[in-house]
Amino acid sequence: MLTGWRRLAYQFDWSVLWTPPYGLWLLQGILTTLELAALGWLLAAGLGAILGACRTAPARLLRAVAAVYVEFFRNVPLLVWMFFWYFGVPQALPAAARDWLNRHGGEFTAAVVALGVYHGARLAEVVRAGLQSVPPTQLEAAVSTGLSTFQAYRLVLVPIAIRLIIPPVTNESLNLLKNSSLALTISVAETTFMTRQIESYTARGFEAITAGTLVYLVLCLGISGVMARVERGVGIRGLIGRDPAVVER
Amino acid sequence: MAMLRRRIVAAALAAAALVAGAAPALAETTLEKIARTGTMVVGTRTGSPPFGFIDRQNQWGGFSIDLARLVHASVEKKVGKRIGFELKESTPATRIPLLTSGAVDLIAGTMTITRARRESLDFSIVFFVTGAQFLVKKGSPIRGVDSIAGKRIGAQQGSTNEKFLRERYPKAQLVVFPDQPSAFTALVQGKVDAYTNDGVQLAGLKAKAPNPNEWDVVGDFYTYEPYGMAMRKNESDFRNLVDFTLMEAIESGEYQKLYDKWFGPQGEVPYPLSETARIFLQMQVIPR
Repeated sequence: MLTGWRRLAYQFDWSVLWTPPYGLWLLQGILTTLELAALGWLLAAGLGAILGACRTAPARLLRAVAAVYVEFFRNVPLLVWMFFWYFGVPQALPAAARDWLNRHGGEFTAAVVALGVYHGARLAEVVRAGLQSVPPTQLEAAVSTGLSTFQAYRLVLVPIAIRLIIPPVTNESLNLLKNSSLALTISVAETTFMTRQIESYTARGFEAITAGTLVYLVLCLGISGVMARVERGVGIRGLIGRDPAVVER
Repeated sequence: MAMLRRRIVAAALAAAALVAGAAPALAETTLEKIARTGTMVVGTRTGSPPFGFIDRQNQWGGFSIDLARLVHASVEKKVGKRIGFELKESTPATRIPLLTSGAVDLIAGTMTITRARRESLDFSIVFFVTGAQFLVKKGSPIRGVDSIAGKRIGAQQGSTNEKFLRERYPKAQLVVFPDQPSAFTALVQGKVDAYTNDGVQLAGLKAKAPNPNEWDVVGDFYTYEPYGMAMRKNESDFRNLVDFTLMEAIESGEYQKLYDKWFGPQGEVPYPLSETARIFLQMQVIPR
């Protein structure tokens, strides 16, 4: 069954992964991936929180604006957004702004914006789901104690909802990290870009791609681990996860 | 819990079996594989006129593809039956894994033969000779490899000239794209000051541009780019078949006919065959 591997007409040479400068390239790629994903995540989280809240707001106009945003940005493939922000948007800018952007390499910025707005739309839905899963009586109770609607959101609904949505937010964050690899199409030298570059210099494709696979795996497992701890640390008993008192009867 | 663990182990083994099951196909030679599947799969380009490209009528063709068809005819003769001819897109970044994994049997595009690549692949004799130059907007201050310091230079990932510039001209700011069309769009939009690639490919881009007169191909060849067809390593039977096919084509004038079809004055990309290149091609033809 496993003899197929032995017959594979390919000899692995893992040393390319730490031979200079390839090892350094891989590290640079990982750093760029982290930078790209972190900035993209901040933008996505900001947009997601605001738009998700708007989608549950009492004001109809806010709900409509947020719904249009979500449906528009999440229903176009991320790859298209990459090209849109890199090749499309600068064409609409005044010539001076466009030249400045060209001189200063708009690739990274375009990739951050593409990741942020796309995942922002997806996170908004997660946030909405979280807010809507808080029983409506909570809002009523909060308002009846004399809080304004905004205060009720800020002090009661959002803190509960944030705890509820940790698992889907983790999921979305992992997707964002992995999707950052699409930035290679607009010349951002992130991890996948670097593995391809190592491959083209050394003709050692399997080694380079395996390295890339492991990098994403480790990064994602790391994020999952951290988020699991956060979930255990801040979760409200009975609302999320197993309440030992209920389950182990 | 033990039950669950056993199930996970079983699933992992099943996955490993799947991966391993796909591999034995590679143990057979390329000719055996082609005979068994009844199809020869060729990896080529979609955006590199006139070697491999999709034209305005949505037809996939080109000089390299025509040469691969000659190889296909030889394969049919060798295995003694009709064989399908299938094209698959391969870019500089994907062509080596496509070949080594067995997804394609032959790469016939715009691949430069290098010593590093010969470590893991085998190549045919040289079927085309060119060298790297720059494509710029008319009137650009860039006149060649010595005037690119501080400029943004577009290049294609995985190409030999990208590697050359990175190592020898660190002052140039490289902007690397995975494919030729996006690199060209970046040049059109002024995101890069020049796009570098093999001269003949730049001539192809210029010829295909909406307004060819806006563009110039500048500079002397700063690299040597001998194109060859790539195959899986250590299969001299198949390599001989490919080499002999190319030699016969050069000998019989079939090569010249195809060359004129694509590079002649009426061709997709007018690019006359230099005398040096013609002699070089002929000297590769060893006696019968």
